[in-house]
Amino acid sequence: MKEKHETEKAPPSQQSLVKSFLIALPMMALTLIIMSGGRIPSEPLNLLTLAVTYLFFNIMFFLMIHAGKTDRYRATVFITYSFLFVVSFITHMFEARGSMSLSQEKIILCEVPFCHLVIPMTLIPAAFTKTIIFPGSIIGGYASIASMFVIWIGASLSMGRGWCSWGCFFGGLDDAFSRIRKKPFIKNIDRRWTYMPWAILLAVVLTAAAFLSPTYCSWLCPFKAVTEFEAVTSFKILVQTIIFISLFIALVIVLPILTKRRIQCALFCPFGAMQGMTNKINAFEIRIDSDKCKNCKLCVRECPTLSMTEESLKEGRPLMSCMKCGTCVDACPRNAITFNIRGTPVSGSGNLKRLLFLYTAFLFLAIFSSHMIQDGLSRIIKLITTGSMI
Amino acid sequence: MAMQGFLLGLSSGAVCSAYCAPVLIPYFLGEKKNVVQNFMALLQFLTGRLLGYLAIGFLAWGIDKSILQSISCREFIMGSAYIILSGLLIFYSFSKSSKTCPPANETGMFQKVRASWPFLFLLIMGLATAVNLCPPFLLAVAIAMGEGTLFQSALFLFMFFLGTSVFMIPVTFVGMLRRFSSLHIIGKMTAGLIGVYYFYSGTIMVIGSIWKT
Repeated sequence: MKEKHETEKAPPSQQSLVKSFLIALPMMALTLIIMSGGRIPSEPLNLLTLAVTYLFFNIMFFLMIHAGKTDRYRATVFITYSFLFVVSFITHMFEARGSMSLSQEKIILCEVPFCHLVIPMTLIPAAFTKTIIFPGSIIGGYASIASMFVIWIGASLSMGRGWCSWGCFFGGLDDAFSRIRKKPFIKNIDRRWTYMPWAILLAVVLTAAAFLSPTYCSWLCPFKAVTEFEAVTSFKILVQTIIFISLFIALVIVLPILTKRRIQCALFCPFGAMQGMTNKINAFEIRIDSDKCKNCKLCVRECPTLSMTEESLKEGRPLMSCMKCGTCVDACPRNAITFNIRGTPVSGSGNLKRLLFLYTAFLFLAIFSSHMIQDGLSRIIKLITTGSMI
Repeated sequence: MAMQGFLLGLSSGAVCSAYCAPVLIPYFLGEKKNVVQNFMALLQFLTGRLLGYLAIGFLAWGIDKSILQSISCREFIMGSAYIILSGLLIFYSFSKSSKTCPPANETGMFQKVRASWPFLFLLIMGLATAVNLCPPFLLAVAIAMGEGTLFQSALFLFMFFLGTSVFMIPVTFVGMLRRFSSLHIIGKMTAGLIGVYYFYSGTIMVIGSIWKT
């Protein structure tokens, strides 16, 4: 215990109240413009949700700067975003269709929102066959696909796989469940399981190209349980329903609780696997200062995505699967792990690099999530005041 | 006419390669062999595929030309092929490295079979893939049946096979990635996953075809 106190240091990125406020000021201005769209809403409910969302985001960002800790405040926003996205999405489904389930005919005739998780299975077949493989027609048609691709490319270039901790509207669900227990019930996970997302990615791409069918959406996506799914009208759909509900319960709820790891994101998601490749080309990275590191392996134990290993510690950087959540940065008692800009030395200007990353990632999170959070909030307020979310 | 078969194969080969890729790519990744070794393995696979093409051709010629027109019959054949493929892929997924160890060290009957005859393994995979009855192949069979003699039909299917096989060659270049040891595990895992998918599809097809008849 004494040794722990000797080695632990205050985060070097901790700032005074005034300095934190000044650093957060540009974020306050930017988020005000983004969230309001340049005009203050006249309806009281919209004004209230805008004010709450704005304050929530900026308080979290301010605390991130002031406390010098990243993960706990990121997770607060990220988890809120995921849960309110689900509230918003399901309510919209009931509003538009009266149900979360859809018949096959409706899927083809109705319009389905495009989801980033299908990007891997659309990219390769689209390149070879000029066919977008997706279950049904898409809201906004090709414009919708193009806009999602543009957002994804922008996020990939700026954050790499940081998308999975700062942008993905599903990631917050297993992030939330992985935080429920203080200590993991299952401690040892065979490292070979970390290859599973790659195997699923390959299987999904190959079968989607072979059968021109959205294999991942039809068979594997666990998040259909909290968004939309096909009505059970045949044995095949019954099997698919059993599979996706089982996967949701196992990967998003039970295993994250038992292991304290983001199992769906780290060991299953094929989009995440592909996104890992973009970690090689984006500006920001997590680095380990080998001079400071005492090999206590706390980061290996704490990493929710199994991206820190003994080998990666020796190499001075996490694995390609790192989601830049900041858990290891916060956990390191010697401040040996930092956010870094690719191509620059690990030591020196650590706080500036962290701020640059936080501005990029947090702004992206604000742009992507604020309207969903506002909508989710307004639905909950409606439920409380009128008894109906619609 | 034989040239027509070759051109038909060339024009639809991309579709055929898409059907074969889920079987070939995980296998080549899992084997960690170089490009030349993969090419030899591809030849073994293609031999099986050619045999499958010819067998279907003869079946349609000898038994009944309309056998492939019947949906239930077609589903039964394809479903059975999927089940065989799934069995091979799942077995491959759980099998140990294919390096030539003495068969005596292998445990289990299937391990022994595979260690002794890797050729047979690829041959059956090729055969089962050929029986997939993809649309281009059905078209080729339909044209081949219009030929005057059995030999001409077989020649047409052979040329069709050659045309489609050109598209399989790039798959062998997966061997260039063999230095990434993790791909070996990924290949095996993928084989298992695709095997499960084939097993389900095959079982549903076979049950459906029996139900219809």
